[in-house]
Amino acid sequence: MPEYENSSVLNQVLLHPNSVVGADLTAWLATWGGQGLRSALAAPESIIDRVREAQLRGLGGSGFPTHIKWQAVANEAEGDKYLIGNGNEDEPGTFKDRMLLELSPHQVIEGALIAALATGINHVIFYINPHLQRAMTAMQQAVAQWLESSLYPEVCRVVGRTVELQVMPSSGYYVGGEETAAIASVEGSFPFPRGKPPFPAQSGVHGKPTLINNIETLANLSHLLRNGVAWFHSLGRGGNSGTKVYSLSGDVLNPGVYELPMGITLNELIFSYGGGMLVGKKLKAVFTGGPSNTILTKNDLDVSLDFDSVRQRHSSLGTGAMIVVSEGTGIVKRVAEYVRFFADASCGQCPPCKSGTYYLSMLLDKIDTGHGRRVDLDAITNLCEMLPGSGRCHLIDGAVKVVDSSLYHFKSEYEQALRQPRARVV
Amino acid sequence: MAGIPYTEALSRYQIAAPRPLRDSSLAVADLLEQFHPDYLKNSTVELKVGANKGDRCHRDLARILQSDSRIDDLALAGVEVLETDVLVIGGGGAGCTAAITAAEQGVEVMLATKLKLGDSNTVMAEGGIQASIEPSDTPQMHYDDTLRAGHHLSDKALVELLAMSGPEVVRWLIQQGMQFEVNKYGDLLTRKPGGASAPRVVYYRDYTGLEMMRVLRESVRNCKVVVREFSPVVDLLSDESGHCAGAVLSNLSMDAYTVVRARQVILASGGIGRLHLNQFPTSNHFGATGDGLVLAYRLGAKLRDLDSFQYHPTGMAYPCHMMGSLITEGVRSAGVQILNALGERFVEELNPRDHVAAAIIRECAEGRGVLTEKGVGVWLDTPTLERQQPGIFERRFPKLVQRGKQGSVDPRQIPMLIYPTLHYQNGGVVIDVNGQSTVPGLYCVGEVSGGIHGRNRLMGNALLELVVFGRRAALHAAANLRRSGYHRVSLEHLSNMRRELMRLGEDMTYKGPQLFPDYANFDNDPDYRDLNYRIILGELGARIRKLVST
Repeated sequence: MPEYENSSVLNQVLLHPNSVVGADLTAWLATWGGQGLRSALAAPESIIDRVREAQLRGLGGSGFPTHIKWQAVANEAEGDKYLIGNGNEDEPGTFKDRMLLELSPHQVIEGALIAALATGINHVIFYINPHLQRAMTAMQQAVAQWLESSLYPEVCRVVGRTVELQVMPSSGYYVGGEETAAIASVEGSFPFPRGKPPFPAQSGVHGKPTLINNIETLANLSHLLRNGVAWFHSLGRGGNSGTKVYSLSGDVLNPGVYELPMGITLNELIFSYGGGMLVGKKLKAVFTGGPSNTILTKNDLDVSLDFDSVRQRHSSLGTGAMIVVSEGTGIVKRVAEYVRFFADASCGQCPPCKSGTYYLSMLLDKIDTGHGRRVDLDAITNLCEMLPGSGRCHLIDGAVKVVDSSLYHFKSEYEQALRQPRARVV
Repeated sequence: MAGIPYTEALSRYQIAAPRPLRDSSLAVADLLEQFHPDYLKNSTVELKVGANKGDRCHRDLARILQSDSRIDDLALAGVEVLETDVLVIGGGGAGCTAAITAAEQGVEVMLATKLKLGDSNTVMAEGGIQASIEPSDTPQMHYDDTLRAGHHLSDKALVELLAMSGPEVVRWLIQQGMQFEVNKYGDLLTRKPGGASAPRVVYYRDYTGLEMMRVLRESVRNCKVVVREFSPVVDLLSDESGHCAGAVLSNLSMDAYTVVRARQVILASGGIGRLHLNQFPTSNHFGATGDGLVLAYRLGAKLRDLDSFQYHPTGMAYPCHMMGSLITEGVRSAGVQILNALGERFVEELNPRDHVAAAIIRECAEGRGVLTEKGVGVWLDTPTLERQQPGIFERRFPKLVQRGKQGSVDPRQIPMLIYPTLHYQNGGVVIDVNGQSTVPGLYCVGEVSGGIHGRNRLMGNALLELVVFGRRAALHAAANLRRSGYHRVSLEHLSNMRRELMRLGEDMTYKGPQLFPDYANFDNDPDYRDLNYRIILGELGARIRKLVST
């Protein structure tokens, strides 16, 4: 597609100037808007196949193939079905969804309508963190414009029922971004995560089949359907498809949101687009943000940033957040900060998570402030063994992962921070 | 510089009755334009980074505003971490007022100060505090006077609050235990500040600020405020949403940093006199190096009037080692005249400060000043005042007499030689009526804040301002504590500043905030040499040191 071609590979699709039109439906429909939806309206039964062939994956951090979720919801019997567009974004270092919602709400809504067509969903809820005020306003305006548009009745006709569009503020808690917590929140209760199964696709909001997709995943759909699977594959690098919106922050010269081909190398992201390190310092590590914060080191600069390659390096791509840390930064301090975040974010439902995050945080603070002893480090190592999988949701796993990952790469730094036993004077 | 040498001028001087005012021949606006130091050519530059990008700013101030930080993440490895609800930075009048008020609300308060509690410009304030309490006076007149003196550039909402709160503030201070001069019926005495339309300043001798600091300091010691002395703040902390989230203290006695996480921060760090802008002497105390402006600016706070400073007309110019020390405006309120070397009276003494200061600078620049070894000045005709009102100095200006004795000049016998001295920073951090800066979680009160005085301050409004806004900020901060919970506290805002500086290719070798004046030399200064010993080892350490030295 010539019009997508750009002199560089930066911001080719989701953040392309043609996409970034704000809450202005006329402007969106005048360029690229509506075409993907029309293609979906023409052949709604083939949408899921096309998504499968395109290998679109959940871009909210899990990398779970999107078509499997969709197929599960589509397979459920006719009746009320829900879609939650998850914009609860609250992880440290992640700030991509708010940009997409704010700059281009229409591609998100169009994507959600495509999902509704594919799976027979009649309730579409955009679940947005209330702290993201600008994103919320843009979405409210955009939804109002869609309800007035001529495409909207078309969608309702094909689905066979009125498709309800709604913007709903989330609770603003980190844990509210978890799938089942989002369901609880939409139902009007405190966002306590629930156990799985039943999976949301079978029993979600009010016991009805529910599809939960990240904002970035939804945003890709209109482009994918408009330009076809082959085009979507051609965007990625090294066998990956599509693009990824990376949130780059930390000690780089130009932090920000960068949409780049899926599978670009870490080196390229930091040094070609991020402008290199701040005040000439050396790279020490990169915290990858998302549901599980893990660490990449300077040895991983060559890693291709896609879900599978990053996983091979004992890390995970997550939401595409990259927090760059330079030499001269204490890893223990950073990790202590993260775990403190998790300890505060724990909803307190599951005892291992409630007390586990608390003790991890306490022990890390102790080591960080120079009061830790060998037994404290041993205790942390033990907790990292015991805790994973002990909660209903993955919050505790995330907390453990960041500690585990930092121990894997920077164990010596922990050991140096320990208080040495005092030599006995005879 | 031309002029008449000191001894010759002194021999010419005669005590005489009030003299006629010489025709000025220059309109006020032209006088300021040509002679006020704010208008000096090349004294201002344009700011290149930060919230005030593009604004004019004094050259020396711009240098520290655009400096690199003293610390980065590395400095915080393994340091002590403290937590509090409200952190007050600054141990002067505004800081103490805020700390007392917040503590009264039942929240945890910590006060960190660079020097000792109370070592501040507040104690240098001699004239008094404005409050419209006279029957002939109204808050409206106070409001009008303040606006007019500030060339109508003040924030009107702030001035309104200031004028309306005056009487209540004086009552509060009396409740705290502060003394004021009263007549035999117990009514407060007032005097008229330069540029005001009614007598309005209540005072205590000629050391009102010292008396005020005395009671405020005692109040701080008597309530549950944790005080950290000798702990200048080297940078503020921010959280992921840009809120101010605490500060990094440099613990001078231990040579170590301390991180204080706070839910609200009240910055009351005072002024900038010790940067000696335009090479002027200053009346400010040792710690007035403009740290607060730097801290707030790095965090993204908007500042204003960065090219406007107050030069107090009556700073001492002789003897030379006392250059810059303040002679209270109260002397002018009492009716003293200002004369040039020829014995001419050239300015109405009770005009606003910027006007009088510019007139004095003009006399000296045009060769009608008195020359000393190191400078120049004009006469403050104190002997004539003593002749007219015998005993007035002993009674009302004991500090001035004392200071004269130190310099072997008895103001009752010989006129004092004066020259403008750098006194006050008119601008500062932009605040709202609750003292909140543009950065959430950061309050600024006292001299570090801006907008109340426009481009020129009236006598007595500084002491008033610091109590009014110190109290308001503390009440607002205590009532609006953020939900306690996790906030990722970091120095990320420093990276933002560094990014901007790096992109512009600025020289980043200069580190700020300055903390101490350029000439501070702790190794050779006997007052500070013992600092470490005194604090770490207490009395014992001092005694050991004494033993060693004898």
